[in-house]
Amino acid sequence: MEIIRMERVSVTVKDETGDKLIFSDLHISVDRGEKVLIRGRSGIGKTTVFRLILGFTRPSSGGIYFEGRRADPDLFWEVRKRTAHISQDSDIGEGPVMALFGEVFSYSANRGKFSRDDLGALLLGFSLQEDVLTKKFENLSGGEKQRIAIIISLMTKKDIFLLDEITSDLDAALKEKVVDFFLARPEWTVLVISHDPEWEREGVRIIDFAEVVSKTKVGKHAGQ
Amino acid sequence: MPASDISLPGMLFCFILLLIPILVSYYFKLQLIGSTLQSAFRMTIQLALVGFFLTFVFDLNNVILNITWVMVMVIVASHTVLKNAELKLQSLIAPLIISFTITNVGMLLYFNTLIIDLEDVFDARYFIPIGGMVLGNSLRANIVGINDFCDQIQRNENRYLSRLSLGAEKHEALMPYVKKSLRNALKPTLANMATIGIVFLPGMMTGQILGGSSPLVAIEYQIAIMVAIYVTTVMNVVLAILILMYRGFDEYGMFRKSMLKI
Repeated sequence: MEIIRMERVSVTVKDETGDKLIFSDLHISVDRGEKVLIRGRSGIGKTTVFRLILGFTRPSSGGIYFEGRRADPDLFWEVRKRTAHISQDSDIGEGPVMALFGEVFSYSANRGKFSRDDLGALLLGFSLQEDVLTKKFENLSGGEKQRIAIIISLMTKKDIFLLDEITSDLDAALKEKVVDFFLARPEWTVLVISHDPEWEREGVRIIDFAEVVSKTKVGKHAGQ
Repeated sequence: MPASDISLPGMLFCFILLLIPILVSYYFKLQLIGSTLQSAFRMTIQLALVGFFLTFVFDLNNVILNITWVMVMVIVASHTVLKNAELKLQSLIAPLIISFTITNVGMLLYFNTLIIDLEDVFDARYFIPIGGMVLGNSLRANIVGINDFCDQIQRNENRYLSRLSLGAEKHEALMPYVKKSLRNALKPTLANMATIGIVFLPGMMTGQILGGSSPLVAIEYQIAIMVAIYVTTVMNVVLAILILMYRGFDEYGMFRKSMLKI
């Protein structure tokens, strides 16, 4: 069953020089449970796709559909509650890591989802020490931050994952572990933006971004 | 014993003092001579007009006129807040005027009825100057609060969006900014309250003493007005930020950048 579809979506942004086209006529359709890797050179607009799905960026034309329903503001708020968005520059906060968990699980949508046992198991699973919880988030390394963000998204029981370069700061063994983890669940829909070849596995659909849009701000050349 | 009138030569001696800032500006090339003269001139004209106007209002002491005058102060105050916060007026001015009216008039009525126990709560001699003090002193806090809030949203947009994608409702995602802006807005008022009397003698108290009241009566009023100012400031800042939370974001939860002047 189809979960996300984008039809002829174009995005322009305003800057000092006026309206600037990011891309036009994007077509993407993703089925529930699918694992999709979106590739393409930097600056081509891949991250914008995730922003479109979350309603953070509005298309200048075209339609976005979730499970066949055309997206409206209410639907985007629903999608945000089902979707985990983890990105390279995920800025989830500052202060002790445990306090961040406290904040996230105080949101009405997440109340009752916290389990100390699950947290312990996930820390172990992602090779983090228990004492990471008492450290300040801003003092963690890039790889530790990414894993904390992954753990939070797993504990909030999402079923759609938008993963933007989340393995870039991890070592080879951890990359494999994270990839295994996200590909293992048939019920999860996972969209990945990454340059890491670890994601190119059997069962992962690879989309070359340049081929699903008709124009980008950097010209019509196909991506590498 | 009312304060003695300042004679015309006395006022002249007062204006002569302005030569000092003019010389300072000239020497350091501050280019503030024009502004100094202009500000002093504007102040003089405005106060002269207000002086005549208030004489008239006090003599008449008409309830409707008194309320109207306080409303004019509220509207000018709301306008000043938005102008200094560099926000466009049209979307926020109406709710801001309504909230300022409720908090300030509410506080005035409470103050005049329960604290100083006036027979006529709309008595111009109390209603207008106390209204002006409460409103004027909460202005700066409002400007700080609104500016700080808009600033944080723009600077930490990523963090706000992260919270939304972690399942937060708009108000949940904005709560950390609300807290910080409230603290930043209220800190100066609190510091002011804590140092009053030692570091400086407040204008109202000085005025009452010059006007012939005993220092003890003057401090009673000063304490009451400081509490009233702090409480009104808290209510005003909270309401201003709430208004911004609801008017300042579109239905997708995105900050309306179009609201900013630049």
